[in-house]
This record gives sequence, C-alpha cells and structure tokens, in this order.
Amino acid sequence: MSSRRSRISEEEINELISKLQSLLPETRRRGAGRASSAKLLQETCNYIRSLRREVDDLSDRLSALMETMDNNSAEAEIVRSLLRS
Amino acid sequence: MQATKSFEQAFLKQMLLGIQLSAVSHGSGSLQERKSAIKLSADVAMAVARGSKKWTRGLIASLSKEEQNRSFLQFVLGKEFERPAKICHSSWKIPRSKNIVRRSLRFLSKRKSNIRAPNSSVLAGTLVEKRTQVLKRLVPGGQSMDAFSLLDETLDYAACLRAQVDVMQKLMTTLEASKHRADSDAQRPKEKFHLLPMVGSWYSTRKGLRKRLSKRPKLTL
Repeated sequence: MSSRRSRISEEEINELISKLQSLLPETRRRGAGRASSAKLLQETCNYIRSLRREVDDLSDRLSALMETMDNNSAEAEIVRSLLRS
Repeated sequence: MQATKSFEQAFLKQMLLGIQLSAVSHGSGSLQERKSAIKLSADVAMAVARGSKKWTRGLIASLSKEEQNRSFLQFVLGKEFERPAKICHSSWKIPRSKNIVRRSLRFLSKRKSNIRAPNSSVLAGTLVEKRTQVLKRLVPGGQSMDAFSLLDETLDYAACLRAQVDVMQKLMTTLEASKHRADSDAQRPKEKFHLLPMVGSWYSTRKGLRKRLSKRPKLTL
C-alpha cells in the first residue's frame, strides 16, 4: 500500500533526477556513474544562479546599448527578428 | 521543455512590448530605471511565454510585491492581474475568472504540510535537505512545493532560464549589428532604409499597437 506508492514515486523522482543530471552542463560531461543527490542539487543551484546572473548582465548590456540607439530602430530590429523566425 | 521555438517567439514578442512600455514610462528616466524595466520585461516575458506553471505563478507573485512593477504587470496581464487588498477576508469576493496573482499569493503564503508526498529515501539526509532548501529559495514559488514538484518545476525553470539567456544573447547580437550598420551608414550619405516601412505598417501605427495589445496573453490555470 504505502510502500508500493513510495516505490513508484521513487522511480519518478529518479527519472527527474536523471533528467536534471542531463540538463546540467558539468554532470553531462562526466558521463560515468551518477552524482550523489546532494552534489546534483548543489550543481543545480549553481546553474540556476549563474543563469540568473547572465540574465542580469544581459539586461544591463541591452539597456546600455539601447541608450545609444534610437528606440524605433531597436524595436524595428526586434520585429524583424520576429518576422524572420 | 518542448517547443523551444514557440517559447522564444512568445518571449521575444513580450520583450518587445516591455521595451516599448519602458521607453514610454522611463524614456526620460535614469539609466538605472531603464535597466530595471528591461529586467522586469525579461522576467515577465519568460513567465508569459511559458504559460501556467507553479514557478511562473510564483515569479509573477514575487514581482508584483514590488510597487514599481505593478503598473507594468497590470498592463501586460490585463484583467488577470489583480492586487487583492486582503487575502483572508471572507467578505472579499473571489471572481469567477481565474486570477493568477491571487492564487500565486495564496500559493506563496501557504505552508503546505506534505502528508501526501511520500517520504523518499532518495531525498533524505541533512546535506540533501540543506541543498533542497537552497533550491526552494531559488525557484520562484518553491517554498510551498513538495519534493517532486520542486524537481519538476526546477527542470522547467532551468530550461526556460537557458532559453531566456539564448534569446537575449541573440537579441544583443542583432541590435549590435544593426547599430554598427547604422553608425557606418551615417559615415556616408545614403538613402534611407526601405525596410522600416515594411515593418512599420504592422507595428508602428497606434492602431496596430492597440490591436496587438488587445490580445492579452492568457495565463490559464
């Protein structure tokens, strides 16, 4: 009953963990064996933090760049990219 | 997360909207204001492009906590965005239409005791618990998630962050190239670009803008 339920959920959790592992850049390279859960969580946190830092940095650079451009051409450029894809 | 392409398109569209709005409201403001506006645009764009997930609701909720973000959120999300004055008041009528912020704020303040969630031995151990707590703080809305949801939402959130970075980098490259072209064209007298009128009819007229803005994105619950 309850043990069966936790077994199924453990499988699902294991699946999520392996998906997470393949998502992270470092653990993908390592290949052999599976990182411990603690290590995996740490890698995940680091990854998310670095992505957020990148977004912050890109936001800064984008706003700085747009200061030097006129708004219309910046927006037109975005529209062009939208139409292209 | 499948369908990255449609996510990237939706994200770009929302970014465009955000940039236009920030130009209107912060055009004469400080660089810092414009930076925050771009950052806000990017986060809202990501949440809207992804649609309804626990983390997107958590993100909108935490963004709406700050006063300066509310008018932007109101504009982008339309009637779906409401600032509930009191969450616990029984006299406050819950509207039939789905209200993402209301649910998000309830979602954030609720401390779900996870009697339902099985006690998985995979996530036992103090180091794992500590790291899980850190992850819960990183993922928007993570505090009230059970272990399984947390991992699931983390996967989705990380994938979206990755896509967000990619799109912004591409945008950066495109704008830099455009600026470079404009600068070098300014060196020599030339006819104006004819590309702008092409996009102009779709975008720059107020009618077109209003028409586009009337199709508000729907974060279905």
